[in-house]
Amino acid sequence: MGGFLASRFMSDVFNGVANGIIFSLIALSLVVVWQSTNVLNFAQGAMATFATYIGMTQVEHGINIWLCMVISVVVGFIFGGLTERVLIRPLYGKPDINPIVVMVGFLGFLQFLAAAIWGNIPRILPSPFSQVFYTSKGHTIFLSPFVVFQILTAVTVMMIVALVFRFTTLGLKLRAAALAPEVARLLGVRVDRLLTFGWMISSAVGSFTAILVAMQNGSALSPSVMGSVFIFGFIAAAVGGLDSPIGAVVGGLLIGLVEQFTLDYWQANMAPVMALVVLIVVLMIRPRGLFTKNTQRRV
Amino acid sequence: MIRVAHLTVKYGAIAALTDVSFEVRPGSITAVLGANGAGKTTLLRTISSLMTPSQGEIFLGDTALVGQKTEDIARLGVAHVPEGRGVVAEFTVEENLRLGALSSPENSAHAVAAQFERFPVLAQRRKQYAATLSGGERQMLALARALVARPTVLLLDEPSLGLSPMVTADIMTTISTLSREEKLTVVLVEQNAKSALRIADHAVVLHVGTVVADAPAGDVANNDDLKRFYLGLVK
Amino acid sequence: MLRPNFHRLPTTSRWIVILGVTATALGFTFTFNAGLNAQIASGAAISIVVLGLTWLTGWSGQISLGNSGFMACGGYFVGVWANHHAATPLVISLLFATAAGALGGLILAVPATRLRGPYLAGATLAFATVTSSLVYVFGNWTGGPTSQLFLNSLTTPSWFARMFSGIQASLNSSAQYGADLAICVAAIAFLFMSNLFHSRLGRAMTLVRDNDVSAELMGINLRRTRTIAFVIAAALGGLGGGLQTLLNGSVTPGSFPLTISITLLTLMVLGGIGTLTGAVLGGLIFAVSSNVINWLCSTAGISSTSNLGTNMQGIVFSVLLMTTMLIAPQGISGNIVRGYRHLMQRFTSKIDNSPA
Ligand SMILES: Nc1ncnc2c1ncn2[C@@H]1O[C@H](COP(=O)(O)OP(=O)(O)O)[C@@H](O)[C@H]1O
Ligand SMILES: [Mg+2]
Repeated sequence: MGGFLASRFMSDVFNGVANGIIFSLIALSLVVVWQSTNVLNFAQGAMATFATYIGMTQVEHGINIWLCMVISVVVGFIFGGLTERVLIRPLYGKPDINPIVVMVGFLGFLQFLAAAIWGNIPRILPSPFSQVFYTSKGHTIFLSPFVVFQILTAVTVMMIVALVFRFTTLGLKLRAAALAPEVARLLGVRVDRLLTFGWMISSAVGSFTAILVAMQNGSALSPSVMGSVFIFGFIAAAVGGLDSPIGAVVGGLLIGLVEQFTLDYWQANMAPVMALVVLIVVLMIRPRGLFTKNTQRRV
Repeated sequence: MIRVAHLTVKYGAIAALTDVSFEVRPGSITAVLGANGAGKTTLLRTISSLMTPSQGEIFLGDTALVGQKTEDIARLGVAHVPEGRGVVAEFTVEENLRLGALSSPENSAHAVAAQFERFPVLAQRRKQYAATLSGGERQMLALARALVARPTVLLLDEPSLGLSPMVTADIMTTISTLSREEKLTVVLVEQNAKSALRIADHAVVLHVGTVVADAPAGDVANNDDLKRFYLGLVK
Repeated sequence: MLRPNFHRLPTTSRWIVILGVTATALGFTFTFNAGLNAQIASGAAISIVVLGLTWLTGWSGQISLGNSGFMACGGYFVGVWANHHAATPLVISLLFATAAGALGGLILAVPATRLRGPYLAGATLAFATVTSSLVYVFGNWTGGPTSQLFLNSLTTPSWFARMFSGIQASLNSSAQYGADLAICVAAIAFLFMSNLFHSRLGRAMTLVRDNDVSAELMGINLRRTRTIAFVIAAALGGLGGGLQTLLNGSVTPGSFPLTISITLLTLMVLGGIGTLTGAVLGGLIFAVSSNVINWLCSTAGISSTSNLGTNMQGIVFSVLLMTTMLIAPQGISGNIVRGYRHLMQRFTSKIDNSPA
């Protein structure tokens, strides 16, 4: 058994899932705001990084690491709301290009500002769990307590998001605001607030993801730490379909596995190339992603 | 109950409504009639603040509606069933009703149950997605959803659209009963003048954005000129 | 009515304007010092890339965040080629760079022309990332992380040097040579594009952008038109990237970072999307930006080597990009045109109202 778990194939699966679940979280938070506001948040990674800097640099002031994580997520939550109110709200109903350009500008702004405030030198974050891999009868299994923590918390976050959206009144309102904003307003739903709230949730999930990314083995917190992760997350979301939360999760895992197998069996630099190839192939066959129903709701 | 005064609404430079004034008495059914493009939908959308008039006022009792938010108007007890019914196709029948109950003052589970009692057709299809309902069932769902929040005013935009004459008659009877039993004030926008006039107390006829008649429904129903020129009912 | 809208000028007037601007710019290079001429050179190179972007985004309606990838195609091709064939004439190198960019555009166009809006923006961004990983994948040719130096790629010809000091090229004359060369290359690109904007293809492009359904009904092949738009934009990107590589005499993976895509967007939006004038303004803004930023920093007492100082340009550009898009999305040239029309309207209506 230990031999099987330590096999090259299973090691790749573990690593692929561990990375993929990160992409899933990014994709999920992209989908949450895309569904409700039709804005693809290109600044998602940068916003998350910024919030993470604010929270996690408190570790240097002797504050408990768990508390720092909470601070980051709360900052992300508020940050998401502010962003929607100030930058996004004036753009509703404008051509596609306007929100894209503004969010790309915001991405640059946050990344350069983070570099200006905290410098470009990466900061290694302490990890709340050991990053040493488990061993079984002398075989190394590519799972560490931290990786297990990463996967479990990511799954928990996804479950919470799913449960809230599917089974609560708040979720009902959020879905209605996304699917049929005008009807929702006619029924007395305060759609504006819900859109802000959607951005807040998305941004909080993003911040949490950035913490995990920065804590990972071999990684550290830097202004561009989410750069390539965001690209993989976007690819995951587009592969799954920007309208589908389930698609986001599946797309993330798929891209994570593709990345891992590519870098193990070929080379690391081919991983983004293969991810792009997957994206292209999927979009050629299904232009709106694997999990989007073929409704022409927004034309 | 509702008073519209000198209302002018424009799309860009083109006016869809010009100086429209009329009143809706409490507890009555007022039919707003007119051909395609007469401005009926625009009128309802302006009452619900989905559009802003360039001139004029709308009052609900003593409350001015112009400038208020759509969701606040809904919370004042104005239920608007939009053109095409506005049923959320991706939601189940029950979810659609729960959505309607959100701004309801009373226990929402209760309010939903009450509507299932009133519309047994819907109760049987509780878990079915609205996308799979027939046209008549969708209209029932839209009506039921409007009623969960216990409104005082019901704005209906072409409930008969795309329905067979039999189903239309059915819906009209339901509206008439509702209005009487619940003391609802109804504004019934219709192209199908015949069915609407059958249940309406009063009628307002629009023609290219202006009011050409504002009279008791019986008078309109008996006025051949109106019927011929504006309502397409040729004897 | 009189319109200062450059696009609407007849061909000859357009050519005269472009040649006039070129001659003026060339004239200025005689008065500038080496540092300023180097900046002018890179501004001219980047304006070519902005020209491609403004054609793609403003004229054909396809947003792209991947133009740094096209620059990398051109830049690396020139670099790799120069390593093996040091004596390649300049014109040939630049043509190769253009072709390399166009090839990149053709490859990207296959998926990209099927995508719209954010899908397109994200996919092009991914393309830009992928080009920089490909530099490592083909490390044998590109040198991977190490930079490729080819010192003699842009030798100032003796006839040019002779106009100044003597046989030997000096620092000043070679900087001016770089600037003049870049300006001339840019002028050719602008002349070419000014005609293209007005050709049948250009008009088809705007039709496709504004209403693809009716364009298709008129017999325009959407995929083909969009592909051509991509290839042309990419060719200009490759040309700009190749020119920059020649001017720098080196190319590294850091030469075409993703942040260039933000810079390009900023220059395009600031200048005015979809206009030639906007692309010229964009290049000019880029040329003077470092001076302005340095001046700003020193006025504000910010050390240019501090974290804030080194990131100031990025911050300023990003803020400009956001605010322009939020407040005046037509950019400088668009607003000048609007202001001018406004003035002319007031002027003409006054004349109309005056008694005869
Ligand atoms: N979104 C819109 N933009 C521009 N004009 C519109 C729009 N909606 C409706 N109109 C115009 O306003 C007028 C009234 O339309 P509407 O209120 O929908 O009429 P009705 O509901 O009576 O058929 C029509 O002439 C229509 O063309
Ligand atoms: Mg209508």
